[in-house]
Amino acid sequence: MSLSKEQKAALYRNLVRADQYNRMMYRRMMQGKLIGFYHPAEGAIAPGVAACTFLNQDDNLSPHHRGHGIIHMMSKGIDIKYYLAEHTGKDTGCCQGRSAFHFSFPEHKVYMMSGFIGYNFAPAVGWGLAAKRRGQGQVVMNCSGDGSYGQGRAHEAMLMAQNWKLPIIFFCENNGMSIFSTAGEMHPTPDIASMALAYDMPSVICDGQDVFDVAEAVLPAIERARRGEGPTFVEAKTLRFNEHDIGTPDLAGWEERGEQEHQEMRKREPVALATERVLAEGVFTQEQIDGLNEEAEKEIAAVEEFADNSDIARPPESELLADVFAP
Amino acid sequence: MRTITLIDAIKEAYQEELRRDDSVFLVGQDLRGAIFPHTKGLVEEFGTERILDTPIAESGMYGAAFGAAQEGMRPVVDFMFGGFSYVTFSECSVTTGQYYFLHGSQQSLPIVITAGVGTGQRLANDHAMSIHGTFAHHPGIKVAMPSTPYDAKGMFKAAIRDDNPVVIPWHMGIMMLKGEIPDEDYVVPLGVADVKREGDDVTVLANSMQLQHALKVAEKLEGEISVEVIDPRSFVPFDIDTVLQSLEKTNRLVVVDEDWESGGFAATVSARIMEQGFDLLDAPVTRVTLPNMPVPGGYMEEYVAPNPEKIEAAIRAVCA
Repeated sequence: MSLSKEQKAALYRNLVRADQYNRMMYRRMMQGKLIGFYHPAEGAIAPGVAACTFLNQDDNLSPHHRGHGIIHMMSKGIDIKYYLAEHTGKDTGCCQGRSAFHFSFPEHKVYMMSGFIGYNFAPAVGWGLAAKRRGQGQVVMNCSGDGSYGQGRAHEAMLMAQNWKLPIIFFCENNGMSIFSTAGEMHPTPDIASMALAYDMPSVICDGQDVFDVAEAVLPAIERARRGEGPTFVEAKTLRFNEHDIGTPDLAGWEERGEQEHQEMRKREPVALATERVLAEGVFTQEQIDGLNEEAEKEIAAVEEFADNSDIARPPESELLADVFAP
Repeated sequence: MRTITLIDAIKEAYQEELRRDDSVFLVGQDLRGAIFPHTKGLVEEFGTERILDTPIAESGMYGAAFGAAQEGMRPVVDFMFGGFSYVTFSECSVTTGQYYFLHGSQQSLPIVITAGVGTGQRLANDHAMSIHGTFAHHPGIKVAMPSTPYDAKGMFKAAIRDDNPVVIPWHMGIMMLKGEIPDEDYVVPLGVADVKREGDDVTVLANSMQLQHALKVAEKLEGEISVEVIDPRSFVPFDIDTVLQSLEKTNRLVVVDEDWESGGFAATVSARIMEQGFDLLDAPVTRVTLPNMPVPGGYMEEYVAPNPEKIEAAIRAVCA
């Protein structure tokens, strides 16, 4: 399929925002202004933007953990200020400051995050069942990395999704790395998408550095799911520019990733690639692009201001204990 | 009033709740063909979407329920045997217990987890272990287990209507136990203990099949030792007040529980009674539990697991 000018514009705008959000998170972590850890997404922002920009509010989304879901959630239209407040332990946080880096936006059908990689596969089956039963064309965007496909849960979810023709997109953001280990060592085939063959599930592989290529792959999968034709496996081959999370060494296996590798990777920086294309195709002028960047800067400054000006959440123990169960 | 078995009481609870509320559904493995009799015939009335069989894939099966509960449905997940829930333990304990609280108490998770448990079938550890103590350890999950058909129907209905996750196993040793139930709709609220027999000399706190054992022992000792028998019915929340009230009269407590001695429900009760009821006690709290070994199968189970002889010995010791 080919993308319309409007679609390209929407993707590019979100890519610029995603890039700046990720840089802001990196900076704040280094400044000691984030709780917990941050798994930087530089180099790997295009897949999340492409997968989520055209989702509806009532579609389910489980974001990839890289970038802590910000790229995916802001692309879906979620106001990130409540998540940044959460990530800074503030009482205005999306989980009342209780959850460190977890998120929950049930009104946008982003229910949860768990520290267990691959946790999303199992509940995705339930979201898919509910969507199918409702019959309103809702889809489940189930994002995760190459590493999470080591989980038996991935197999279980694909098995049931295909048995029951559930509207789930198995969206694999394959950056070839899980912490230090490489996908080459941990997975027996070069493409994670080859797993889909076992379930007779359609699959497609796309260039995860190219936001437009990913969108061209993912949009037909979304449409197919909306039509009730079942799940699709979409694999976006992407790159992780930084270390796994801030503070861990930048290793492949147990050896430092070399300068050469970094130079090669950075030739495929997703914003630069997309900028070249939108200028060439006349989607945006340089002036408009500058304007998008300024807009994103303003947006992020407001998000940071909201988080920084909120109070630290420190409710008494008795109040917390009273809130363990629903009334 | 009608007389039915405990397993049929659970079935009636399922049937009535499935009819009452379209969002209720059952998910498990081979529920349609009824590996246990409480799901027999349900698929004919409710169809394969609401009596949902999955592949042998506990995480995906539980995930189907968990995700559907987030979507506003009210699933009952049947693990067949309680120990099988441990195959997907991270989901059904950690992720389930923390979901409501950790995510800012925005959205409750109405999900029921059930399975057959307990000794008496000579099946050995993985088919016989109790799960209530382990689940009770994880905050955010209600845990209960019935000991009579009346309680079974009422508690399963309460569990299905509860907005929180509820783990409610049933004991295979009393599945054919008969008892009276009323014809009209009723629930037995979770978190309320029940004095099953009044007595003056000693309180025995026992649940599920062991409650039935305790009642038999109490009857046997009538005229010699007056035994009050209490069923906690729920482990979380635990109705300690009913036990403390009883201790004001009896001043002696035996806790019978088919979980292991170490870290089990009986240990929690002992500690809490020591903290909140120390002055009421004339003797140390005594426990009758599974010794700390994997549940043996075959013919060893009947003398290793709690049984009427062990309960009687504990009562005599605490009253001596």
